[in-house]
Amino acid sequence: MHAVETAGLTKQYGKVFALRNLDFTINENEIMVLLGPNGSGKTTLLLILATVLKPSSGYAKVMSLDVTAQPTRVRRILGISFQEARGFWRHKPADILRFHANVCGVPKAERDTLIESLLKDLELWDARNKLFMHLSGGQAKRLEVAKVFVQRPKFAIIDEPTSQVDLRGKRKIWAQILKLRKEGSTILVATNEVREAEYLADRVTVLDEGRKVVCDTVRQLKDSITGGDIVELEVEVTEPQILEKALTELEGTVKVTNRGGNRFKAYVSMAESWVPKMTDVCYQNKARISSIRITEPSLDDVFLHFTGRALREDS
Amino acid sequence: MSNIVRLVWFDLKPDLKPPVWIIMEWVVFLVQVGVYGAIITQLVNNPLVGDYRQFFAVGLLIMITFDMGSHTGRHFVEHAHEGRLPYLLSLPISRTQLFLTIALQGGAELALMLAVPLTITLLIIGNLTLVSVAACVLTLFWLGFGVAGLMLALSFIAFKSSDLYTAIVTGLSAIIIRFSTVLYPFIVLPPQYASAAAFSPLTYGSDLVRFILGFDPGILLNPYYAVVVLTALAVSTLGLGAVLVQRLVEGVKSA
Repeated sequence: MHAVETAGLTKQYGKVFALRNLDFTINENEIMVLLGPNGSGKTTLLLILATVLKPSSGYAKVMSLDVTAQPTRVRRILGISFQEARGFWRHKPADILRFHANVCGVPKAERDTLIESLLKDLELWDARNKLFMHLSGGQAKRLEVAKVFVQRPKFAIIDEPTSQVDLRGKRKIWAQILKLRKEGSTILVATNEVREAEYLADRVTVLDEGRKVVCDTVRQLKDSITGGDIVELEVEVTEPQILEKALTELEGTVKVTNRGGNRFKAYVSMAESWVPKMTDVCYQNKARISSIRITEPSLDDVFLHFTGRALREDS
Repeated sequence: MSNIVRLVWFDLKPDLKPPVWIIMEWVVFLVQVGVYGAIITQLVNNPLVGDYRQFFAVGLLIMITFDMGSHTGRHFVEHAHEGRLPYLLSLPISRTQLFLTIALQGGAELALMLAVPLTITLLIIGNLTLVSVAACVLTLFWLGFGVAGLMLALSFIAFKSSDLYTAIVTGLSAIIIRFSTVLYPFIVLPPQYASAAAFSPLTYGSDLVRFILGFDPGILLNPYYAVVVLTALAVSTLGLGAVLVQRLVEGVKSA
């Protein structure tokens, strides 16, 4: 059984499609990362799953509950952290978390301990008695994600968990997300930060213009790019032309260029299986390898490969 | 039910620490009745009306009730504009409960606002029977719910255009208050003005409260009509608001 399942999910605003015929699943206890530029439909999908928006057509189910037909039951098992911190602007962080925990049914016995530990871990303890309106952007964002961590829902939705947060804060939030998964939650994260996706994702779904472009593990997505891995090679060899020809003919090679003298740059698929074959070829050609540098494609490259556009151009 | 009370209390709590705006409303009421009321009573000398200050005090109560009803609708729109509405919509409560929360919060704010002005008005008029006080409170709440329901129903315009909503509510408020019997008895109104006043819910609210408090029925509209109109208003607008929250509202910011 999938924790989340959508079929033909479409959201339309007038003539504009925010989501088009989306078929999408998340396995139980999985971290699924939605990757896409701004306006790709990530937030719309999250809000539909959170029952905040209604789909125009198709269906979405969370833990087998239909979000349109059983919205209140869906809301009882999910928690959402919004892209922008939502303003109870005259309240204090500790009060906001206490209220949220209370409404979401966190047992009273563990509420205060949990809130204190989270406020400390996310470095909000000193700001706990400030009014929300006096928090910095980063503090407000950390408070927003803290709501989900204090709630510990079966299904957690986190929209851009670390936008406006510094690197130290990012690491703390990522650690909390991984801890949440360890405790049994299924997690859906939307982001346009490649590094975040690579760090957190069990699987990644790439969205573009409301459509699912591709969905797989980070490894598989990277490997699916023909010639996506780049191997830079420096060798000691007497006849470099012969070696270049041999490398070009190797299985998995897309292109080899000679960068002058005995330096080569090879564009290959799946460097991890190409490199052992390459060392054999070098041995056969009496070439001594001085250095190897392998660069694998980023999710940016994956996005570019599947959509023909760079992720960052739009974000 | 406990989540409804929690949400109402959470939202209301900052207003009470300290309750400056509520106390200011009470002070404004006192000044209005004490100073302006005293002066205007010298100028209005109509045997049909009697002591105009009493008439005026009831009118002010009705205006506070209308303001609070409007405030409830505006509050809902502000939630949407501030981005708080999506959060409320994501909480584990039903849409009906969310609507009840909005209505209950409006009711609680109205009760706080009216506590002192109503007591003063009752003391000025001197009609302090249990029945009159209860009927008076009930009428004011019924009117408050009707106005809140009307504003909530209109608030959905704000999801399309907040400017249009502001324009409509401002215009409507001006018309509803001015063309009513809040400050002038029905029988002294010119015919055109009286025809317009007959469409204002405040006319029925103010005349019913005055009837309950023992004003001369000869200067008021038929109280049975008032009960019917106020009930129809509250039921229809609250019903419409509840249906809209249930079916239409989506937590998007307005354009």
